[in-house]
Amino acid sequence: MTGTGQWRIGIDVGGTFNDLVAENLATGRRVFHKEPSVPSDPSLAVQRGMTGLLDVAGLAPGDIGAVMHGTTLALNTILQRQGARVAAVVSRGNRHVFEIARAQLPAAIDFTHGREEPLVPADRVFETEARIGADGTIVAAVDDAEMDRLADDLRRAGAEAVAVMLVNSYRHPALEAEIAEALTRRLPDLPFVASAAIWPEAREYERGLLAALNASIRPLMGAYFERLTSRLGELGIDAPLFITTNNGGTVSLQTALDRPIDTVLSGPAAGVTAAIDTAPSEAGDNLVTFDMGGTSADMSIIAGRAPELTSAARVGDFPIMLPVVSVTAIGAGGGSILWRDAQGVLKIGPESAGSDPGPIAYGRGGTRPTITDCYLATGIVDPARFLGGRMALDGAAAAAGLAALGRDLGLEGDEDVAARAAHAGLRVATAMMGVDLSKLLARRGLDLRDFTMVAYGGAGATHAMMLAREAGLSRVLIPGAPGTFCALGASIARIQRDFVASLGHLLGTGKANAGLPVKAALDRLSQEAATWARGETAGDAGAPRISAMVRARFPDQAYDLELEFGADALTRRDAAGLERLILDAFHDRHRTLYGFEDRATPVLAGLLRVTVTIPAERPASPRPEPAKTVPTEHRRVWDGAWLDAHVLDRASLPPGARITGPALLEQPDTTIWIVPGWTGEVLPDGNLMVTQDAGDAAPGLRRPAEHAS
Amino acid sequence: MTLNSFDLEILRHKTVAAAEEMGLTLLRSARTIYVREVADFATALVGLDGKPFAYPSDLGLSAFVDLDLKATLERTGPLREGDVILSNLPYANGGLSTHLPDLQLVRPIFVGGELIAYGWAMAHTSDIGGGVPSSISPRFSDVYQEGLQLPPVRLMKEGRMDEDLLSIYLANCRSPETNLGDVRAMIGALEAGGRRLTEIAGSHGTEAILSFQTALREYAAEKAKAVLRQIPNGSYDFRDYLDHDFVSNVPLRLKLRLTAKDGTVDLDFAGTDPQVASAFNLPTAGERHPYLTLRLLQLIGTADKTVPMNHGALSSVTTQTPPGSIVNPDYPAACGVRHAVMLRLMDLVSGALLTACPGIVPAAGGGTVLPVVLAETDATTGRRKSAVIQSIIAGGGAREGGDGVDGRESGMSNTRNSPIETTEDAAPVRVELYGLRPDSGGPGRFRGGLGLVYRIRMLKPDLAILARGLERFRFAPWGAAGGRSAPPCRVILNEGTDRERDITRIDILPVAEGDTLTFMTPGGGGYGDPFARDPEAVRRDVARGFVSAASAEQDYGVILTAAGDVDVDATETARADAFDRAHTGFDFGPERKLWESVMDDATATRLNAALGHLPASARTTRRRLILEAAIPALAGDTLSLADSLRDPGAVRSLLLPLIENLEAEHGAAA
Repeated sequence: MTGTGQWRIGIDVGGTFNDLVAENLATGRRVFHKEPSVPSDPSLAVQRGMTGLLDVAGLAPGDIGAVMHGTTLALNTILQRQGARVAAVVSRGNRHVFEIARAQLPAAIDFTHGREEPLVPADRVFETEARIGADGTIVAAVDDAEMDRLADDLRRAGAEAVAVMLVNSYRHPALEAEIAEALTRRLPDLPFVASAAIWPEAREYERGLLAALNASIRPLMGAYFERLTSRLGELGIDAPLFITTNNGGTVSLQTALDRPIDTVLSGPAAGVTAAIDTAPSEAGDNLVTFDMGGTSADMSIIAGRAPELTSAARVGDFPIMLPVVSVTAIGAGGGSILWRDAQGVLKIGPESAGSDPGPIAYGRGGTRPTITDCYLATGIVDPARFLGGRMALDGAAAAAGLAALGRDLGLEGDEDVAARAAHAGLRVATAMMGVDLSKLLARRGLDLRDFTMVAYGGAGATHAMMLAREAGLSRVLIPGAPGTFCALGASIARIQRDFVASLGHLLGTGKANAGLPVKAALDRLSQEAATWARGETAGDAGAPRISAMVRARFPDQAYDLELEFGADALTRRDAAGLERLILDAFHDRHRTLYGFEDRATPVLAGLLRVTVTIPAERPASPRPEPAKTVPTEHRRVWDGAWLDAHVLDRASLPPGARITGPALLEQPDTTIWIVPGWTGEVLPDGNLMVTQDAGDAAPGLRRPAEHAS
Repeated sequence: MTLNSFDLEILRHKTVAAAEEMGLTLLRSARTIYVREVADFATALVGLDGKPFAYPSDLGLSAFVDLDLKATLERTGPLREGDVILSNLPYANGGLSTHLPDLQLVRPIFVGGELIAYGWAMAHTSDIGGGVPSSISPRFSDVYQEGLQLPPVRLMKEGRMDEDLLSIYLANCRSPETNLGDVRAMIGALEAGGRRLTEIAGSHGTEAILSFQTALREYAAEKAKAVLRQIPNGSYDFRDYLDHDFVSNVPLRLKLRLTAKDGTVDLDFAGTDPQVASAFNLPTAGERHPYLTLRLLQLIGTADKTVPMNHGALSSVTTQTPPGSIVNPDYPAACGVRHAVMLRLMDLVSGALLTACPGIVPAAGGGTVLPVVLAETDATTGRRKSAVIQSIIAGGGAREGGDGVDGRESGMSNTRNSPIETTEDAAPVRVELYGLRPDSGGPGRFRGGLGLVYRIRMLKPDLAILARGLERFRFAPWGAAGGRSAPPCRVILNEGTDRERDITRIDILPVAEGDTLTFMTPGGGGYGDPFARDPEAVRRDVARGFVSAASAEQDYGVILTAAGDVDVDATETARADAFDRAHTGFDFGPERKLWESVMDDATATRLNAALGHLPASARTTRRRLILEAAIPALAGDTLSLADSLRDPGAVRSLLLPLIENLEAEHGAAA
């Protein structure tokens, strides 16, 4: 997937900063850069960031082999409802499909909750007589006169883009395509998106919505990619551009133009990709990511080094049924506001100060203390060194705000009120995060003790050990550059895409050819996937790898089991072998979940998802930059009492160095807070592993030599 | 309180999460469709007094925050570590269950030999025996027909399963494997809760857990009381009706007097009709019951999102339920379809609250949930199988400041619908129409939410449709503060053909291949004067097909041009001409007005008082005979009262002597 250059660039666009990383594929060397965002023209920030990165790394445009870009443009367009004015053509009787949605309210108990404003209101939805039966046969065909009328309707409605969604099109995509073509002939300037062409899975609202979302964001995305390509061209960069996707992979610019909906939740997914790929073996195979930035915090569960995909993700009001790396926002983030209720109890959130006005310390007009302010008032973060000193914070204002809140909460005394209020805030916030983590694991029946936390984002490493201590995790991994970890994930991402087919076949009936339809669908999707993958790379990359997921259930049950199959399991299986493979996996899983198996009853295979991946070359592990010697300082940190914490520059620590808390490690993109009773060790690849001490370890730093002695 | 406020908040988060972990554990491994698809389950951590202190914030049913284990614990006596109590009989567990398929499990939590709390889990299981598959039919007249009755018994003793008891239970279920899976899932949930609370006690101390149970309830009580203080001191009466009890055609009345005083609220249901000989009874054991107080809990939770959801939130609420009535029936009255009563109780409490304090809650919602079940006979095995093909809900009531929600209603189970494609894949039907029902929202300055319209065509012979708990066919969802009532529910067989027929009640309806069945649920009542509605909102409703141009003109006084824009001048004129709308209170719709022209409050209350001298189980029959004698049409199945009550005076002259006779009987007896 690369041009001639040895360097691959990863870019992650955030609300406050764009993060960039350059990685040398031969040496493993990595260079990081942060550039302030330009919300009015995101491509300008990318151009500036790229200039800055080339400068810091000392690279020429020709050294760049590929640019891997994560963008939040699709996400923001949907959240802010700024996409094109989209209309829809649906089957007769279905005009209100976007109004009814799934008939669910956001909260059961609150009777002031309304329903969401539909993406396509009913006055822009038009009905066609064309209809497909549940078995995929055509009940009513496309009528030319009706197409004339629909074209008139669409024109009158002022449509800028159109989604076509027929009931049961997932069983017969051609009819939708026929309508889209017939209408394109009549309205050649309008983009039409057929729902089954985006994702042919049952559930008409979700599928129609995907088509409508895709149609609505495509024009803006197209314009952005055009500007971006031309700006990179101005810098002399002509390396191919790839866009990261919801499933943790990446696709070519052309695919992203056709299917921008695949990029909508790519940002958090890239961090998960980075965690899976860069966590050293010391971290084990079970990871929980903790991505905490200035405004929010996310977690993701990675069992067995595989990302968890969900088909129940949401963007604002809308469900996204595409496979998306499962990332969950948790109860408290850096921007969460601390307040006192009428009964005098300290509460945190759900309101967030966001990045504007942000915490009090940002000095942008925020007046209510946030979690970020608590780091300053407790002494964990040094206001002068935030982001390596690039963004001065007002620590005194943060402390004053927290002192006022503390007195309001009945804390007495003068000197320590701010620190004590901040500490109470951190305790409550940490408890909130801890229970969210417990619930994530409980939902899956997993045991926390088997997991290592990977902490990143601007505040991930600051809060991680407090959270781990609270939740009962004993290992935390801090990457070399946690502040730009998602950009690293973008640069690492492999070309990957998912394909789906609805099945509806019974397996285990004892009939000879029961596995044939599944085998046929697997072959068809595999071929489609491989053809697509080769087109992404102009054929110069490795052979595509195909993995699959089958959703299956007993016919009389309402719930499915998702069965994953790796490439090895699938190769060279005939229909009967495939049937056996699926049945064995199903019954095994059923026994694990429900305590018994029932091999006499046939199993209904409902859906097949195929994932194609092009394996990417991975550079050698980066060699840490040579350590600089910087004198150790001390700072006091309130953790229930004033503690004397060692303060070190992380860059001064060679592999093998051990630091026992209370200690603070400073680096340009974050502060690492090692709580008392925990010890960090610099691993050979530069990652920092922080673990809970077994016994009593004396606080302070032991360099490798001291450690050895 | 002995805890500091920071620890209170931290323990609140931790214990609520523990209750949620219980729910997640149950959800992950339960097998019944009710748990998995309709979220018909609940979990909580319960204090030593039998009242919950930690309840999930958004998982499973929100309805049981006000539960009480007192009766269960009294019945079983002191528990030992590892005991698990099982029950399902409302008449033996103090109304903890409300019908037999709901299994209730309770497990004590000990730390270091000291009892510190109880775990509680409940799930609606697939079947508990009785006269029909899934154990619920509106026709049943007592709980013996509804399945196996389980008073509180020890399913596990000190960690060991009572296999004898378990095998009796499983022998009485039509789906023993599924039920066993559910029981195991519930036990798993209780164990998870116990484990987590023990961990929390490990880091905070058992003493902290015990004082926390009280402190958190007091905290909730203080917040809740601040909300309830909005209700001005005074007593407020309200009445609402169920169409009938299914086995007769006589309307049923629920009556409430809500008395508010400085944040305390008393709900007195005196005057509510006697228990019925069908499955519409709600056993509450005469105690404060979650279904009686649910609307108040929603009011509290809506007004202050920070109120911890626990028993304390309702500690300033008391209830009075007349023995032998629908809301406090005597054993063994059937109770399978008590859900319909619960929905009407929500309207009843809303109406009393609105009488006290305009704007405090929405007008009546559509108030019906319509689970459509299709039964088909398997051609090869000959076995009949049935499946829920859609759960059609109604529209929400409008409120001060906002339209009612279209096609959705808060306070219901709030689960997702069944997509057309899922339905058509699973059942031999074609869904020809699934939309918002035009003109079904009560007109108002804030429009009632629209109901739904759902039409299926049968693609195979020998099918049957089952639908239970159908309501609001006769008495409309009411509007408030000048807002209008919404059109009632309709179900039409073969709409638009010469075989068209209104279906007014369904137990099992046989249908032929090619038949269509159209379900129309009611919208919510409107709020405020419809002529004061923003004309632009009316225009948008017309453009989206929610309101017809005719209704815009008649009900809202908004005239649209041919292009669909608001004709400002014509609208102004139309609205100025409307001089006869000096209506600012409730609008109950035409049928209720007719009914109360005969059965006014005084008459109905007098009849119920006279019936009160009869044994509880005899009252409903006597009431029916008296009303059928006075209004012969009630003996048929026509819902409309228009023909039979054309001359209220004549009907009353028949009715009153019958009531006098009844009174005289008791006079003689005494």
